[in-house]
Amino acid sequence: MTTTAGALADRLRHLLGPDRLLEGDLARNLYSHDGSIVGGDCGIVALPETTDEVAACMRMAHEAGVDVVPRGSGTGLTGGAVPLEGGLVISLARMREMGEVDVANSCMWVQPGVLNLDVSMAIAHLGLHYAPDPSSQQACSIGGNVGTNAGGPHCLAYGVTVQHVLGVEMVRPDGEVVVLGGVAPDPPGYDLRGVVVGAEGTVGIVTRVLLRLTPLPPDVRTMLLDFLSVSDASAVVQAIIAAGVIPAALEMMDRNMTMAVEEFVHAGLPTDAAALLLVEVDGTAAEVNTATEVVERVAREHGVRTVRVAQDEQERALLWKARKTAFGAVARVKPSYYLHDCVVPRTRLVEVMEAIGEITEREGVICLNVFHAGDGNLHPIIALDRSDPDETERAMRAGDQIVRACVAMGGTLSGEHGIGVEKRDYMPLVFDDDDLEAQACVRRAFDPDGRMNPDKVLPTGTRCGEVGLADTQVPEGTWI
Amino acid sequence: MSTGWKPGIPAPTRDDLNTCVQCGLCLPSCPTFRITGLETSSPRGRIAAMRAVQAGEATVEGDFTRFTDECLACRACEAACPSSVPYGRLIEAARIQTEAARPAHDRVARRAGIAGVMGHRRMVRLMGLGMAITQALRIDRLLPQKLRLATPRVTVRGMRMPLPASSGEGPTAMLLTGCVMDIAFRPVHQATVDALVRGGYRAVVPRGGGCCGALAAHAGELTSARELARKRIAELEQAEVIVVDSAGCSAHMRTYGHLLADDPAWVRRAEAVAAKVRDAVEIDAPPGRPVEGRVAVHDACHHLHAQGIGPEVRRTLRAAGATCVDLGDGGRCCGAGGIYNVLEPGMAGELGEQKARAIIATGAPVVAVANPGCAIQIANHLRALGSDVEVRHPLEIVD
Repeated sequence: MTTTAGALADRLRHLLGPDRLLEGDLARNLYSHDGSIVGGDCGIVALPETTDEVAACMRMAHEAGVDVVPRGSGTGLTGGAVPLEGGLVISLARMREMGEVDVANSCMWVQPGVLNLDVSMAIAHLGLHYAPDPSSQQACSIGGNVGTNAGGPHCLAYGVTVQHVLGVEMVRPDGEVVVLGGVAPDPPGYDLRGVVVGAEGTVGIVTRVLLRLTPLPPDVRTMLLDFLSVSDASAVVQAIIAAGVIPAALEMMDRNMTMAVEEFVHAGLPTDAAALLLVEVDGTAAEVNTATEVVERVAREHGVRTVRVAQDEQERALLWKARKTAFGAVARVKPSYYLHDCVVPRTRLVEVMEAIGEITEREGVICLNVFHAGDGNLHPIIALDRSDPDETERAMRAGDQIVRACVAMGGTLSGEHGIGVEKRDYMPLVFDDDDLEAQACVRRAFDPDGRMNPDKVLPTGTRCGEVGLADTQVPEGTWI
Repeated sequence: MSTGWKPGIPAPTRDDLNTCVQCGLCLPSCPTFRITGLETSSPRGRIAAMRAVQAGEATVEGDFTRFTDECLACRACEAACPSSVPYGRLIEAARIQTEAARPAHDRVARRAGIAGVMGHRRMVRLMGLGMAITQALRIDRLLPQKLRLATPRVTVRGMRMPLPASSGEGPTAMLLTGCVMDIAFRPVHQATVDALVRGGYRAVVPRGGGCCGALAAHAGELTSARELARKRIAELEQAEVIVVDSAGCSAHMRTYGHLLADDPAWVRRAEAVAAKVRDAVEIDAPPGRPVEGRVAVHDACHHLHAQGIGPEVRRTLRAAGATCVDLGDGGRCCGAGGIYNVLEPGMAGELGEQKARAIIATGAPVVAVANPGCAIQIANHLRALGSDVEVRHPLEIVD
């Protein structure tokens, strides 16, 4: 440990006490990972509990010139919370307080370590919920959701995180605390709140979030449609929306995924079907009935085999459990997975699913698909055993080709997981040098020293005003 | 590749470790993570730590032991895990490693509590007598609080409460008399015998009896755990049904086959005994008396997470007319965890207080608790908060 880092550790220990500053090798090892396969190198870990403590940590890091990586629950899938070259990890996991619900304005301030699902559970008695529902919602934090501009099945109808965050309190890299946005529908000036949401911790650390709360729908119906061909299922997705129904959620799961998850949930999913669609419609009873009829009719026109309508809340919860625990169930196939979350225009879904099938077959890897079909947000999960270098290589190659195929069809890199480290070097596929430079300038305006979550999001060569100068410091440990 | 595991004794296996994809869905189900917010006190973190030892990047001594000790082994994470990671098996194997690596004086202190006392009926009774006397003289107040909160109320009369050697007609059901149950919870044994008789069994209470070995197994004392398992197998295998009125013990006895898998002379007998084990709340018996009003239900981790038992408790109570009230805390561990509350009093205390507050918030006059460790922890924390909510085994409530 260098003298500066050692001095920083002393100051932080004095501030937080030994229990809230982790310095041991094994603890640092655990904080070198998140939910992805990216591995890094963690310096020390601080666990502040208040905005003031975060501000003090940030000031100390600023004075020591040490890099800072913010971390929520560590469920991210792109290495966004993984420190690459030492530095200070600030975990917000102990900042778990929720404020009072502002019923008149349907909003509430919460600390960033509050878990997504805990918000909805805490306000259900008021007939409200927090609409964005990432599949990891039982474990992921609001701070992480803000960082990645997280999505979720119900974002098709309700919109993603940025539409549900009215304001943020943020600690800037030098320790200054600012509040951006607020209860007013359109605060004057630039929408800096919109810059912070999805910035993946590169502009500061969010210490409080003003969440928009949404009324629970009066009625809801969940249907499971099963198909004997992936193409038929893909075609139905576009056809349902073309018929004028925007479901609350419209999810697809292929056969490989269905088989893995059914072993865990025992929801009676048909494991012989090529693809399943999970369709949820909500609204008033009349709206739900009409939408259900349209969905059923369109599905029959496209050769649906069976339509199963959840009969009660218990069955509905079971179907959603199958969907939301799918990623974790991959370990039943292989010990690791590698996935992208590219988005393609819905009209290209049939083509892209065929392309994914061809690519993974060519590379000889097992691919499991479970994704937000309604908004064209794919999640091709490639199952792999990282102790097999050849299989790892093939999985990486397949992932690379899938990204390129999606972009070629007019798609983009990420729907909700963020860019992190894992998709960083694909950024030039969708942005030219000028675009990247403009983004680097925005980042630099917030973080002039480049200490906030460095080497994430923008390719390492991208520096404000000096795009194109190759930076040879490729982070080690990526793809372990 | 050289691993950090101690050779010659069981260790978490690579196959078991490989079932975790680090998705983190387990985090919120873990009571210790909920309190600390630390990756190091989460199931995912502990598995990652095991992987680090496996890969030779860390040693069993030091932080690994600390992180492992902090686990309650409540197995709530197993229910949350989409990959069905066998976490209970992993943590028990990790404990065998940490126990082997522990300095001698530390081991002796733990062993004295676990194998040394619990394994021997006389020692258990002697300890019970000690408790009864200190409590009667009220000098137990001089004990450190962590010990008091982990100690059951014991009276000499309770310890000597007679239980019928045999009662009722029908297939033979033998009762595990156990260790803590035998000195502090004989009324629960009596209620279980009564339920068996009502359910059409011949209830037999074996003379002698003793510990099933669960406490030793959870603490990584494999040799003692196996020795105790063999004793119980020899004692109970003649029965048609083996009835266990402690959730921790019924969960453990159901794993006897696994525990003695490498012992060719005993594995068959162990499997046969495991198959005969019934938890007391699984007995199909009519209630002994009607129960009116609300009963709060605490789910023991060794019921809910280890055996999937939960509806049975409610069914038993409802059959008597009771209104069951859930605690609204998602079945979080009460912090007892076998002897966890003695070894990790800080964490156990926070969890115990949370649980007691959740019980008080239901407004019910009685809480159903089907495990002695939980009953001791909950009763003591309720009392510490000045509450007079009664703590009873579900079968006592309907007896």
